Amino acid sequence: MMIAFLFILPAIINFTVFRYIPIAASVRASFYEYSLLRGLRDFIGLDHYSRMLSDATFWQSLQVTSLFVLYKVPIQIVLSLALAVLLQRETIGAGVVRSAILTPMVTSIIVGSIIWAMMYHSQLGLIQSFLNAVGLPRQAFLSDASRALPAVTVMMIWKDLGFSFIILLAGLKAIPQTYYEAALVDGANAWEAFRRVTIPLLMPVLMFVVVTQAVFSFQVFVPVYQMTRGGPLDSTKVLVYYIYQQGFRFQDMGYASALSVVALIIMVIISYLLMRWLRPQT
Amino acid sequence: MAVAEQHRGAAFTGSTQAESATMVKLRRGGITILRGILFTVISLFFLIPFIWMIFGSLRRETEIFQYLYPLGWHTFFPIEWTLEHYRDIFGMSAEGQRAGLNFGRNLMNSFIVSAGVVVSSLVFNTMGAYFFARLKFPRKNWLLAFVLVTLFVPFEVTMVPLYIVVRYLNLQNTYWSMIVPWFASPFVIFALIQYFRDIPYELDEAALLDGASYLHILRTVIVPLAIPGLVTVSLLEFQFIWNLFYWPLIAVQNQDIQVLQVVISSQTTQEQTFWGRTFAGSALASVPVILIFLALQRYYVRGVASTGIKG
Repeated sequence: MMIAFLFILPAIINFTVFRYIPIAASVRASFYEYSLLRGLRDFIGLDHYSRMLSDATFWQSLQVTSLFVLYKVPIQIVLSLALAVLLQRETIGAGVVRSAILTPMVTSIIVGSIIWAMMYHSQLGLIQSFLNAVGLPRQAFLSDASRALPAVTVMMIWKDLGFSFIILLAGLKAIPQTYYEAALVDGANAWEAFRRVTIPLLMPVLMFVVVTQAVFSFQVFVPVYQMTRGGPLDSTKVLVYYIYQQGFRFQDMGYASALSVVALIIMVIISYLLMRWLRPQT
Repeated sequence: MAVAEQHRGAAFTGSTQAESATMVKLRRGGITILRGILFTVISLFFLIPFIWMIFGSLRRETEIFQYLYPLGWHTFFPIEWTLEHYRDIFGMSAEGQRAGLNFGRNLMNSFIVSAGVVVSSLVFNTMGAYFFARLKFPRKNWLLAFVLVTLFVPFEVTMVPLYIVVRYLNLQNTYWSMIVPWFASPFVIFALIQYFRDIPYELDEAALLDGASYLHILRTVIVPLAIPGLVTVSLLEFQFIWNLFYWPLIAVQNQDIQVLQVVISSQTTQEQTFWGRTFAGSALASVPVILIFLALQRYYVRGVASTGIKG
Protein backbone atom coordinates (compact mmCIF):
# COMPACT_ATOMS: atom_id res chain seq x y z
CA MET A 1 0.00 0.00 0.00
CA MET A 2 2.83 2.37 0.79
CA ILE A 3 4.29 1.50 -2.59
CA ALA A 4 1.00 2.50 -4.22
CA PHE A 5 1.17 5.85 -2.43
CA LEU A 6 4.60 6.52 -3.91
CA PHE A 7 2.97 6.65 -7.34
CA ILE A 8 0.77 9.58 -6.45
CA LEU A 9 3.19 11.31 -4.08
CA PRO A 10 4.99 13.51 -6.66
CA ALA A 11 1.68 14.86 -7.98
CA ILE A 12 0.40 15.50 -4.44
CA ILE A 13 3.59 17.41 -3.60
CA ASN A 14 3.30 19.44 -6.79
CA PHE A 15 -0.32 20.43 -6.20
CA THR A 16 0.32 21.21 -2.54
CA VAL A 17 3.39 23.36 -3.12
CA PHE A 18 2.47 25.06 -6.40
CA ARG A 19 -1.33 25.25 -6.31
CA TYR A 20 -2.64 25.12 -2.74
CA ILE A 21 0.14 26.86 -0.83
CA PRO A 22 0.25 29.86 -3.22
CA ILE A 23 -3.41 30.52 -2.52
CA ALA A 24 -2.87 30.20 1.22
CA ALA A 25 0.23 32.40 0.96
CA SER A 26 -1.63 35.09 -0.92
CA VAL A 27 -4.50 35.08 1.57
CA ARG A 28 -1.91 35.59 4.30
CA ALA A 29 0.01 38.23 2.35
CA SER A 30 -3.21 40.13 1.74
CA PHE A 31 -3.31 41.01 5.46
CA TYR A 32 0.23 42.45 5.47
CA GLU A 33 2.30 45.25 4.11
CA TYR A 34 4.35 43.23 1.68
CA SER A 35 6.77 44.35 -1.00
CA LEU A 36 9.24 42.39 -3.08
CA LEU A 37 12.10 44.57 -1.90
CA ARG A 38 11.42 44.55 1.83
CA GLY A 39 9.41 41.37 2.31
CA LEU A 40 6.57 40.80 4.74
CA ARG A 41 6.22 43.68 7.23
CA ASP A 42 3.36 44.99 9.40
CA PHE A 43 0.10 43.15 9.86
CA ILE A 44 -2.61 45.54 8.69
CA GLY A 45 -5.72 43.35 8.86
CA LEU A 46 -8.32 44.17 6.24
CA ASP A 47 -6.80 47.48 5.15
CA HIS A 48 -6.04 46.22 1.63
CA TYR A 49 -9.63 45.11 1.23
CA SER A 50 -11.09 48.40 2.43
CA ARG A 51 -8.65 50.23 0.13
CA MET A 52 -10.12 48.24 -2.75
CA LEU A 53 -13.62 49.56 -2.00
CA SER A 54 -12.49 53.13 -2.62
CA ASP A 55 -10.02 52.32 -5.40
CA ALA A 56 -11.59 53.72 -8.58
CA THR A 57 -9.05 51.90 -10.79
CA PHE A 58 -10.03 48.57 -9.25
CA TRP A 59 -13.71 49.18 -10.08
CA GLN A 60 -12.73 50.38 -13.54
CA SER A 61 -10.75 47.17 -14.07
CA LEU A 62 -13.72 45.06 -12.97
CA GLN A 63 -15.92 46.91 -15.43
CA VAL A 64 -13.44 46.55 -18.29
CA THR A 65 -13.01 42.84 -17.58
CA SER A 66 -16.77 42.25 -17.50
CA LEU A 67 -17.23 44.18 -20.75
CA PHE A 68 -14.50 42.12 -22.38
CA VAL A 69 -16.13 38.84 -21.30
CA LEU A 70 -19.58 40.04 -22.36
CA TYR A 71 -18.33 41.11 -25.83
CA LYS A 72 -16.13 38.14 -26.44
CA VAL A 73 -17.87 35.03 -25.18
CA PRO A 74 -21.26 35.36 -26.94
CA ILE A 75 -19.73 36.43 -30.27
CA GLN A 76 -17.13 33.68 -30.12
CA ILE A 77 -19.65 30.96 -29.25
CA VAL A 78 -22.12 31.98 -31.97
CA LEU A 79 -19.35 32.18 -34.60
CA SER A 80 -17.80 28.87 -33.62
CA LEU A 81 -21.19 27.15 -33.62
CA ALA A 82 -21.93 28.54 -37.09
CA LEU A 83 -18.53 27.41 -38.35
CA ALA A 84 -18.92 23.98 -36.76
CA VAL A 85 -22.29 23.52 -38.50
CA LEU A 86 -20.82 24.75 -41.79
CA LEU A 87 -17.75 22.53 -41.60
CA GLN A 88 -19.08 19.35 -40.02
CA ARG A 89 -19.58 17.60 -43.34
CA GLU A 90 -16.58 16.44 -45.33
CA THR A 91 -17.01 18.77 -48.30
CA ILE A 92 -14.02 19.72 -50.45
CA GLY A 93 -11.76 22.11 -48.60
CA ALA A 94 -13.47 21.73 -45.22
CA GLY A 95 -10.35 20.12 -43.78
CA VAL A 96 -8.19 23.05 -44.89
CA VAL A 97 -10.57 25.57 -43.33
CA ARG A 98 -10.62 23.59 -40.09
CA SER A 99 -6.81 23.65 -39.94
CA ALA A 100 -6.83 27.39 -40.66
CA ILE A 101 -9.26 28.02 -37.78
CA LEU A 102 -7.08 26.01 -35.40
CA THR A 103 -3.77 27.65 -36.34
CA PRO A 104 -4.17 30.77 -34.15
CA MET A 105 -5.13 28.53 -31.26
CA VAL A 106 -1.85 26.59 -31.31
CA THR A 107 0.19 29.78 -31.72
CA SER A 108 1.18 31.62 -28.59
CA ILE A 109 -0.99 34.42 -27.37
CA ILE A 110 2.02 36.73 -27.28
CA VAL A 111 2.73 36.22 -30.99
CA GLY A 112 -0.95 36.84 -31.74
CA SER A 113 -0.86 40.03 -29.67
CA ILE A 114 2.36 41.28 -31.27
CA ILE A 115 1.19 40.70 -34.85
CA TRP A 116 -2.28 42.14 -34.29
CA ALA A 117 -0.82 45.19 -32.57
CA MET A 118 1.22 45.74 -35.73
CA MET A 119 -1.82 45.16 -37.94
CA TYR A 120 -3.75 47.74 -35.91
CA HIS A 121 -0.90 50.29 -36.13
CA SER A 122 -2.43 53.69 -36.87
CA GLN A 123 0.04 54.51 -39.69
CA LEU A 124 1.70 51.34 -40.93
CA GLY A 125 -0.75 48.60 -39.98
CA LEU A 126 -2.05 46.12 -42.50
CA ILE A 127 -5.64 46.97 -41.56
CA GLN A 128 -5.04 50.52 -42.84
CA SER A 129 -4.31 48.94 -46.19
CA PHE A 130 -7.65 47.10 -46.17
CA LEU A 131 -9.47 50.28 -45.10
CA ASN A 132 -7.77 52.12 -47.94
CA ALA A 133 -8.84 49.42 -50.40
CA VAL A 134 -12.52 49.97 -49.52
CA GLY A 135 -12.12 53.75 -49.62
CA LEU A 136 -11.95 54.53 -45.91
CA PRO A 137 -9.44 56.88 -44.29
CA ARG A 138 -6.85 55.78 -41.72
CA GLN A 139 -8.19 54.93 -38.28
CA ALA A 140 -6.58 54.67 -34.87
CA PHE A 141 -7.47 51.48 -33.02
CA LEU A 142 -5.30 50.77 -30.01
CA SER A 143 -4.67 54.44 -29.27
CA ASP A 144 -8.36 55.33 -29.28
CA ALA A 145 -10.05 54.85 -25.90
CA SER A 146 -13.38 53.84 -27.45
CA ARG A 147 -11.86 51.34 -29.89
CA ALA A 148 -9.01 49.72 -27.96
CA LEU A 149 -11.13 47.21 -26.05
CA PRO A 150 -13.12 46.07 -29.11
CA ALA A 151 -9.82 45.76 -31.01
CA VAL A 152 -8.35 43.54 -28.30
CA THR A 153 -11.59 41.54 -28.25
CA VAL A 154 -11.44 40.85 -32.00
CA MET A 155 -7.88 39.60 -31.65
CA MET A 156 -8.83 37.32 -28.77
CA ILE A 157 -11.82 35.89 -30.67
CA TRP A 158 -9.45 35.16 -33.56
CA LYS A 159 -7.12 33.42 -31.11
CA ASP A 160 -9.62 31.40 -29.05
CA LEU A 161 -12.26 30.50 -31.63
CA GLY A 162 -10.51 27.24 -32.53
CA PHE A 163 -10.97 25.92 -29.00
CA SER A 164 -14.76 26.32 -28.84
CA PHE A 165 -14.93 25.27 -32.51
CA ILE A 166 -13.25 21.86 -31.96
CA ILE A 167 -15.37 21.08 -28.93
CA LEU A 168 -18.65 22.08 -30.60
CA LEU A 169 -17.67 20.15 -33.73
CA ALA A 170 -17.06 17.01 -31.65
CA GLY A 171 -20.42 17.63 -29.94
CA LEU A 172 -22.23 17.98 -33.28
CA LYS A 173 -20.70 14.79 -34.62
CA ALA A 174 -21.86 12.92 -31.53
CA ILE A 175 -25.55 13.67 -32.30
CA PRO A 176 -27.05 10.58 -33.98
CA GLN A 177 -28.17 11.23 -37.56
CA THR A 178 -31.51 9.45 -36.88
CA TYR A 179 -32.71 12.39 -34.75
CA TYR A 180 -32.42 14.72 -37.73
CA GLU A 181 -34.15 12.24 -40.00
CA ALA A 182 -37.00 11.93 -37.50
CA ALA A 183 -37.36 15.72 -37.35
CA LEU A 184 -37.40 15.98 -41.15
CA VAL A 185 -40.05 13.27 -41.40
CA ASP A 186 -42.12 15.37 -38.97
CA GLY A 187 -41.89 18.16 -41.55
CA ALA A 188 -39.30 20.33 -39.84
CA ASN A 189 -37.13 22.54 -42.05
CA ALA A 190 -33.39 22.89 -41.50
CA TRP A 191 -33.73 25.83 -39.10
CA GLU A 192 -36.38 24.09 -37.01
CA ALA A 193 -34.29 20.92 -36.88
CA PHE A 194 -31.35 23.02 -35.73
CA ARG A 195 -33.42 24.66 -32.99
CA ARG A 196 -35.31 21.61 -31.80
CA VAL A 197 -32.67 18.87 -32.24
CA THR A 198 -29.18 20.37 -32.42
CA ILE A 199 -29.41 23.02 -29.70
CA PRO A 200 -31.02 20.89 -26.96
CA LEU A 201 -28.73 17.94 -27.60
CA LEU A 202 -25.69 20.19 -27.77
CA MET A 203 -26.61 22.03 -24.56
CA PRO A 204 -24.18 20.23 -22.20
CA VAL A 205 -21.30 20.89 -24.60
CA LEU A 206 -22.38 24.51 -25.12
CA MET A 207 -22.55 24.96 -21.36
CA PHE A 208 -19.04 23.57 -20.96
CA VAL A 209 -17.71 25.93 -23.63
CA VAL A 210 -19.48 28.99 -22.24
CA VAL A 211 -18.27 28.36 -18.69
CA THR A 212 -14.66 27.61 -19.64
CA GLN A 213 -14.48 30.55 -22.05
CA ALA A 214 -15.98 32.92 -19.50
CA VAL A 215 -13.44 31.79 -16.90
CA PHE A 216 -10.50 31.93 -19.34
CA SER A 217 -11.57 35.31 -20.67
CA PHE A 218 -11.95 36.75 -17.21
CA GLN A 219 -8.22 36.14 -16.74
CA VAL A 220 -7.10 37.93 -19.91
CA PHE A 221 -3.66 39.47 -19.45
CA VAL A 222 -1.16 39.02 -22.27
CA PRO A 223 -2.87 41.01 -25.08
CA VAL A 224 -3.40 43.94 -22.73
CA TYR A 225 0.21 43.80 -21.55
CA GLN A 226 1.51 43.66 -25.11
CA MET A 227 -0.95 45.77 -27.10
CA THR A 228 -2.10 48.61 -24.85
CA ARG A 229 -0.52 48.40 -21.36
CA GLY A 230 -4.01 49.00 -20.02
CA GLY A 231 -4.45 52.27 -21.92
CA PRO A 232 -5.55 54.56 -23.37
CA LEU A 233 -7.13 56.16 -20.29
CA ASP A 234 -7.41 52.77 -18.54
CA SER A 235 -9.92 51.70 -21.18
CA THR A 236 -8.34 48.23 -21.44
CA LYS A 237 -7.06 47.90 -17.88
CA VAL A 238 -8.39 44.42 -17.07
CA LEU A 239 -8.22 42.98 -13.56
CA VAL A 240 -5.24 40.63 -14.03
CA TYR A 241 -3.24 43.43 -15.66
CA TYR A 242 -4.03 45.67 -12.70
CA ILE A 243 -2.87 42.92 -10.32
CA TYR A 244 0.38 42.60 -12.29
CA GLN A 245 0.86 46.35 -12.19
CA GLN A 246 0.34 46.57 -8.43
CA GLY A 247 2.59 43.60 -7.69
CA PHE A 248 5.44 44.00 -10.14
CA ARG A 249 5.37 47.64 -11.25
CA PHE A 250 4.42 49.32 -7.95
CA GLN A 251 6.05 46.56 -5.86
CA ASP A 252 2.94 46.26 -3.68
CA MET A 253 2.62 42.50 -3.28
CA GLY A 254 0.25 42.81 -0.34
CA TYR A 255 -2.35 44.70 -2.33
CA ALA A 256 -1.73 42.50 -5.40
CA SER A 257 -2.39 39.44 -3.21
CA ALA A 258 -5.62 40.91 -1.87
CA LEU A 259 -6.71 41.64 -5.46
CA SER A 260 -5.83 38.06 -6.47
CA VAL A 261 -7.92 36.68 -3.62
CA VAL A 262 -10.90 38.81 -4.67
CA ALA A 263 -10.43 37.78 -8.33
CA LEU A 264 -10.38 34.12 -7.28
CA ILE A 265 -13.59 34.51 -5.30
CA ILE A 266 -15.30 36.35 -8.17
CA MET A 267 -14.33 33.60 -10.60
CA VAL A 268 -15.57 30.82 -8.36
CA ILE A 269 -18.90 32.68 -8.05
CA ILE A 270 -19.12 33.26 -11.82
CA SER A 271 -18.53 29.60 -12.68
CA TYR A 272 -21.02 28.50 -10.02
CA LEU A 273 -23.71 30.92 -11.24
CA LEU A 274 -23.13 30.09 -14.91
CA MET A 275 -23.40 26.38 -14.24
CA ARG A 276 -26.59 26.83 -12.23
CA TRP A 277 -28.10 29.21 -14.75
CA LEU A 278 -27.34 27.04 -17.76
CA ARG A 279 -28.20 23.65 -16.29
CA PRO A 280 -32.04 23.81 -16.05
CA GLN A 281 -32.25 24.34 -19.80
CA THR A 282 -30.52 21.07 -20.64
CA MET B 1 -31.12 17.25 -45.99
CA ALA B 2 -31.04 14.05 -48.06
CA VAL B 3 -34.68 13.29 -47.28
CA ALA B 4 -35.78 16.79 -48.30
CA GLU B 5 -33.99 16.45 -51.63
CA GLN B 6 -35.73 13.16 -52.31
CA HIS B 7 -39.11 14.78 -51.71
CA ARG B 8 -38.25 17.61 -54.02
CA GLY B 9 -36.95 15.17 -56.63
CA ALA B 10 -40.17 13.13 -56.51
CA ALA B 11 -42.28 16.22 -57.24
CA PHE B 12 -40.77 16.55 -60.72
CA THR B 13 -42.16 14.15 -63.34
CA GLY B 14 -42.09 13.48 -67.07
CA SER B 15 -40.93 16.20 -69.47
CA THR B 16 -39.76 18.57 -66.74
CA GLN B 17 -37.27 16.04 -65.48
CA ALA B 18 -34.48 16.88 -67.95
CA GLU B 19 -34.88 20.61 -67.29
CA SER B 20 -34.86 20.19 -63.56
CA ALA B 21 -31.70 18.10 -63.77
CA THR B 22 -29.83 21.04 -65.33
CA MET B 23 -31.42 23.38 -62.79
CA VAL B 24 -30.24 21.19 -59.93
CA LYS B 25 -26.79 20.98 -61.49
CA LEU B 26 -26.66 24.77 -61.83
CA ARG B 27 -27.84 25.28 -58.28
CA ARG B 28 -25.29 22.79 -56.98
CA GLY B 29 -22.57 24.58 -58.97
CA GLY B 30 -23.68 27.92 -57.52
CA ILE B 31 -23.62 26.55 -53.99
CA THR B 32 -20.15 25.09 -54.56
CA ILE B 33 -18.82 28.44 -55.78
CA LEU B 34 -20.42 30.32 -52.89
CA ARG B 35 -19.02 27.80 -50.47
CA GLY B 36 -15.59 28.12 -52.04
CA ILE B 37 -15.68 31.90 -51.59
CA LEU B 38 -16.88 31.56 -48.01
CA PHE B 39 -14.19 28.99 -47.21
CA THR B 40 -11.50 31.23 -48.69
CA VAL B 41 -12.64 34.28 -46.73
CA ILE B 42 -12.77 32.33 -43.46
CA SER B 43 -9.34 30.78 -44.01
CA LEU B 44 -7.82 34.14 -44.93
CA PHE B 45 -9.21 35.79 -41.78
CA PHE B 46 -7.39 33.23 -39.65
CA LEU B 47 -4.22 32.99 -41.74
CA ILE B 48 -3.49 36.53 -42.98
CA PRO B 49 -1.65 37.56 -39.80
CA PHE B 50 0.71 34.59 -40.30
CA ILE B 51 1.16 35.25 -44.01
CA TRP B 52 1.97 38.90 -43.31
CA MET B 53 4.35 37.91 -40.50
CA ILE B 54 6.29 35.23 -42.39
CA PHE B 55 6.76 37.17 -45.63
CA GLY B 56 7.37 40.36 -43.64
CA SER B 57 10.27 38.67 -41.87
CA LEU B 58 11.92 38.00 -45.24
CA ARG B 59 11.93 41.55 -46.68
CA ARG B 60 13.41 44.92 -45.78
CA GLU B 61 11.45 47.16 -43.44
CA THR B 62 11.23 49.94 -46.01
CA GLU B 63 9.64 47.47 -48.39
CA ILE B 64 7.02 46.43 -45.80
CA PHE B 65 5.86 50.03 -45.50
CA GLN B 66 6.31 51.09 -49.12
CA TYR B 67 3.77 48.64 -50.54
CA LEU B 68 1.13 49.04 -47.83
CA TYR B 69 -1.03 51.09 -50.24
CA PRO B 70 -2.67 50.15 -52.48
CA LEU B 71 -3.60 46.70 -51.23
CA GLY B 72 -2.11 44.18 -53.62
CA TRP B 73 0.18 41.28 -54.17
CA HIS B 74 3.25 43.13 -52.92
CA THR B 75 1.56 44.25 -49.72
CA PHE B 76 2.40 40.73 -48.63
CA PHE B 77 4.88 39.27 -51.06
CA PRO B 78 8.52 40.41 -50.96
CA ILE B 79 10.18 41.83 -54.07
CA GLU B 80 13.67 41.51 -52.68
CA TRP B 81 14.18 38.60 -50.31
CA THR B 82 16.53 39.01 -47.37
CA LEU B 83 17.55 37.15 -44.23
CA GLU B 84 18.89 40.27 -42.50
CA HIS B 85 16.23 40.21 -39.76
CA TYR B 86 17.09 36.63 -38.91
CA ARG B 87 20.79 37.52 -38.84
CA ASP B 88 19.92 40.39 -36.47
CA ILE B 89 17.91 38.33 -34.01
CA PHE B 90 20.50 35.55 -33.92
CA GLY B 91 23.20 38.14 -33.18
CA MET B 92 25.02 37.29 -36.42
CA SER B 93 25.06 40.85 -37.73
CA ALA B 94 26.83 43.87 -36.26
CA GLU B 95 23.49 45.52 -35.58
CA GLY B 96 22.09 42.48 -33.82
CA GLN B 97 25.19 42.21 -31.66
CA ARG B 98 24.99 45.88 -30.75
CA ALA B 99 21.40 45.33 -29.59
CA GLY B 100 22.56 42.32 -27.56
CA LEU B 101 20.22 39.93 -29.38
CA ASN B 102 20.79 36.20 -29.17
CA PHE B 103 17.49 34.54 -30.00
CA GLY B 104 19.28 31.26 -30.75
CA ARG B 105 20.03 31.00 -27.06
CA ASN B 106 16.44 31.91 -26.14
CA LEU B 107 15.15 29.35 -28.60
CA MET B 108 17.30 26.76 -26.89
CA ASN B 109 15.95 27.88 -23.50
CA SER B 110 12.42 27.34 -24.80
CA PHE B 111 13.38 23.83 -25.89
CA ILE B 112 15.06 23.05 -22.55
CA VAL B 113 12.06 24.23 -20.56
CA SER B 114 9.52 22.50 -22.83
CA ALA B 115 11.47 19.24 -22.88
CA GLY B 116 11.90 19.38 -19.10
CA VAL B 117 8.20 19.85 -18.54
CA VAL B 118 7.03 17.29 -21.11
CA VAL B 119 9.41 14.58 -19.86
CA SER B 120 8.79 15.14 -16.15
CA SER B 121 5.08 15.49 -16.74
CA LEU B 122 5.02 12.22 -18.68
CA VAL B 123 6.73 10.41 -15.82
CA PHE B 124 4.81 11.83 -12.87
CA ASN B 125 1.37 12.16 -14.45
CA THR B 126 1.55 8.64 -15.83
CA MET B 127 2.37 7.36 -12.35
CA GLY B 128 -0.45 9.41 -10.84
CA ALA B 129 -3.01 8.33 -13.43
CA TYR B 130 -1.94 4.69 -12.97
CA PHE B 131 -2.51 5.07 -9.23
CA PHE B 132 -6.05 6.37 -9.75
CA ALA B 133 -6.97 3.98 -12.57
CA ARG B 134 -5.55 0.76 -11.14
CA LEU B 135 -4.14 0.71 -7.61
CA LYS B 136 -6.05 0.09 -4.38
CA PHE B 137 -5.74 2.70 -1.67
CA PRO B 138 -7.98 3.79 1.23
CA ARG B 139 -9.83 7.08 0.59
CA LYS B 140 -8.62 7.19 -2.99
CA ASN B 141 -11.59 9.38 -3.92
CA TRP B 142 -10.44 12.05 -1.51
CA LEU B 143 -7.07 12.13 -3.18
CA LEU B 144 -8.75 12.34 -6.57
CA ALA B 145 -10.81 15.29 -5.36
CA PHE B 146 -7.61 16.91 -4.03
CA VAL B 147 -6.14 16.65 -7.54
CA LEU B 148 -9.19 17.61 -9.57
CA VAL B 149 -10.11 20.67 -7.49
CA THR B 150 -6.93 22.28 -8.81
CA LEU B 151 -8.50 22.10 -12.29
CA PHE B 152 -10.70 24.95 -11.19
CA VAL B 153 -7.94 27.14 -9.82
CA PRO B 154 -7.76 30.00 -12.28
CA PHE B 155 -4.39 30.11 -13.91
CA GLU B 156 -3.38 33.72 -14.55
CA VAL B 157 -4.91 34.94 -11.31
CA THR B 158 -2.59 32.72 -9.27
CA MET B 159 0.63 33.95 -10.92
CA VAL B 160 1.34 36.51 -8.19
CA PRO B 161 0.71 33.93 -5.41
CA LEU B 162 2.87 31.39 -7.27
CA TYR B 163 5.65 33.93 -7.54
CA ILE B 164 5.55 34.47 -3.76
CA VAL B 165 6.09 30.73 -3.21
CA VAL B 166 8.76 30.32 -5.90
CA ARG B 167 10.65 33.27 -4.46
CA TYR B 168 10.42 31.76 -1.00
CA LEU B 169 11.95 28.56 -2.39
CA ASN B 170 14.64 30.75 -3.97
CA LEU B 171 13.94 29.37 -7.43
CA GLN B 172 13.25 32.68 -9.17
CA ASN B 173 15.51 33.45 -12.12
CA THR B 174 16.36 29.79 -12.76
CA TYR B 175 15.30 27.17 -15.30
CA TRP B 176 13.74 25.34 -12.36
CA SER B 177 11.23 28.12 -11.80
CA MET B 178 9.88 27.53 -15.32
CA ILE B 179 9.82 23.72 -15.05
CA VAL B 180 9.08 22.66 -11.48
CA PRO B 181 5.59 24.20 -11.06
CA TRP B 182 4.30 22.17 -14.03
CA PHE B 183 5.79 18.69 -13.46
CA ALA B 184 2.34 17.42 -12.59
CA SER B 185 -0.90 18.56 -14.19
CA PRO B 186 -4.49 17.86 -13.14
CA PHE B 187 -5.59 18.03 -16.81
CA VAL B 188 -3.07 15.41 -17.89
CA ILE B 189 -3.80 13.09 -14.96
CA PHE B 190 -7.52 13.39 -15.66
CA ALA B 191 -7.05 12.62 -19.37
CA LEU B 192 -4.69 9.71 -18.75
CA ILE B 193 -7.07 8.10 -16.23
CA GLN B 194 -9.62 7.86 -19.05
CA TYR B 195 -7.08 6.28 -21.42
CA PHE B 196 -5.84 3.79 -18.79
CA ARG B 197 -9.36 2.68 -17.89
CA ASP B 198 -9.87 1.50 -21.48
CA ILE B 199 -7.06 -1.04 -21.10
CA PRO B 200 -8.40 -4.51 -20.16
CA TYR B 201 -7.90 -5.22 -16.46
CA GLU B 202 -7.11 -8.90 -17.14
CA LEU B 203 -3.74 -7.91 -18.59
CA ASP B 204 -2.30 -6.32 -15.49
CA GLU B 205 -4.08 -8.72 -13.11
CA ALA B 206 -2.36 -11.63 -14.84
CA ALA B 207 1.01 -9.88 -14.58
CA LEU B 208 0.36 -9.13 -10.91
CA LEU B 209 -0.31 -12.81 -10.22
CA ASP B 210 2.99 -13.62 -11.89
CA GLY B 211 4.62 -11.47 -9.24
CA ALA B 212 5.44 -8.43 -11.38
CA SER B 213 5.87 -5.12 -9.53
CA TYR B 214 3.57 -2.13 -10.14
CA LEU B 215 6.36 -0.26 -11.86
CA HIS B 216 7.08 -3.22 -14.10
CA ILE B 217 3.38 -3.53 -15.06
CA LEU B 218 3.17 0.19 -15.74
CA ARG B 219 6.20 0.01 -18.02
CA THR B 220 5.46 -3.22 -19.85
CA VAL B 221 1.65 -3.39 -19.96
CA ILE B 222 0.01 0.01 -19.47
CA VAL B 223 2.37 2.44 -21.20
CA PRO B 224 2.76 0.48 -24.48
CA LEU B 225 -1.03 0.24 -24.81
CA ALA B 226 -1.61 3.92 -24.03
CA ILE B 227 0.84 5.39 -26.57
CA PRO B 228 -1.81 7.38 -28.53
CA GLY B 229 -3.06 8.92 -25.30
CA LEU B 230 0.46 9.73 -24.17
CA VAL B 231 1.25 11.35 -27.54
CA THR B 232 -1.91 13.45 -27.25
CA VAL B 233 -1.20 14.75 -23.76
CA SER B 234 2.48 15.37 -24.53
CA LEU B 235 1.48 17.42 -27.54
CA LEU B 236 -0.94 19.54 -25.51
CA GLU B 237 1.57 19.90 -22.69
CA PHE B 238 4.32 20.96 -25.12
CA GLN B 239 2.10 23.55 -26.72
CA PHE B 240 1.00 24.86 -23.33
CA ILE B 241 4.50 25.27 -21.99
CA TRP B 242 6.10 26.52 -25.24
CA ASN B 243 3.50 29.28 -25.43
CA LEU B 244 3.64 30.37 -21.80
CA PHE B 245 4.33 34.08 -21.44
CA TYR B 246 3.13 35.62 -18.19
CA TRP B 247 4.89 33.17 -15.88
CA PRO B 248 8.40 33.35 -17.42
CA LEU B 249 7.96 37.13 -17.74
CA ILE B 250 7.70 37.50 -13.96
CA ALA B 251 9.73 34.47 -12.82
CA VAL B 252 12.88 35.16 -14.87
CA GLN B 253 14.69 38.48 -15.34
CA ASN B 254 17.97 37.11 -16.65
CA GLN B 255 17.83 37.38 -20.47
CA ASP B 256 20.35 34.53 -20.85
CA ILE B 257 17.89 31.96 -19.56
CA GLN B 258 14.71 33.70 -20.70
CA VAL B 259 12.44 31.88 -23.17
CA LEU B 260 11.77 33.03 -26.72
CA GLN B 261 8.16 34.15 -26.17
CA VAL B 262 9.26 36.80 -23.68
CA VAL B 263 12.25 38.19 -25.57
CA ILE B 264 10.32 38.65 -28.82
CA SER B 265 7.92 40.92 -27.00
CA SER B 266 10.82 43.22 -26.04
CA GLN B 267 11.41 44.13 -29.72
CA THR B 268 8.29 46.26 -29.70
CA THR B 269 8.12 49.00 -27.10
CA GLN B 270 5.90 52.04 -26.73
CA GLU B 271 8.68 54.16 -28.28
CA GLN B 272 9.91 51.99 -31.12
CA THR B 273 9.06 48.84 -33.01
CA PHE B 274 11.65 46.86 -34.93
CA TRP B 275 9.21 45.51 -37.49
CA GLY B 276 11.44 43.09 -39.33
CA ARG B 277 13.04 41.65 -36.21
CA THR B 278 9.65 41.31 -34.52
CA PHE B 279 8.28 39.46 -37.55
CA ALA B 280 11.33 37.20 -37.62
CA GLY B 281 11.21 36.49 -33.88
CA SER B 282 7.46 35.83 -33.96
CA ALA B 283 7.89 33.45 -36.90
CA LEU B 284 10.65 31.66 -35.02
CA ALA B 285 8.43 31.33 -31.95
CA SER B 286 5.34 30.11 -33.77
CA VAL B 287 6.37 28.14 -36.85
CA PRO B 288 7.77 25.11 -34.91
CA VAL B 289 4.49 24.68 -32.99
CA ILE B 290 2.39 25.17 -36.11
CA LEU B 291 4.39 22.52 -37.99
CA ILE B 292 4.12 20.03 -35.12
CA PHE B 293 0.40 20.76 -34.93
CA LEU B 294 -0.13 20.21 -38.66
CA ALA B 295 1.78 16.92 -38.53
CA LEU B 296 -0.11 15.62 -35.49
CA GLN B 297 -3.45 17.40 -35.91
CA ARG B 298 -5.44 14.20 -35.43
CA TYR B 299 -4.05 13.62 -31.92
CA TYR B 300 -4.37 17.26 -31.09
CA VAL B 301 -8.04 17.58 -32.04
CA ARG B 302 -8.90 14.40 -30.18
CA GLY B 303 -7.09 15.62 -27.09
CA VAL B 304 -8.83 18.99 -26.96
CA ALA B 305 -12.23 17.49 -27.75
CA SER B 306 -11.97 14.86 -25.04
CA THR B 307 -10.47 16.86 -22.20
CA GLY B 308 -11.18 20.48 -22.88
CA ILE B 309 -7.55 21.46 -22.38
CA LYS B 310 -6.71 24.79 -23.80
CA GLY B 311 -3.18 25.74 -24.75
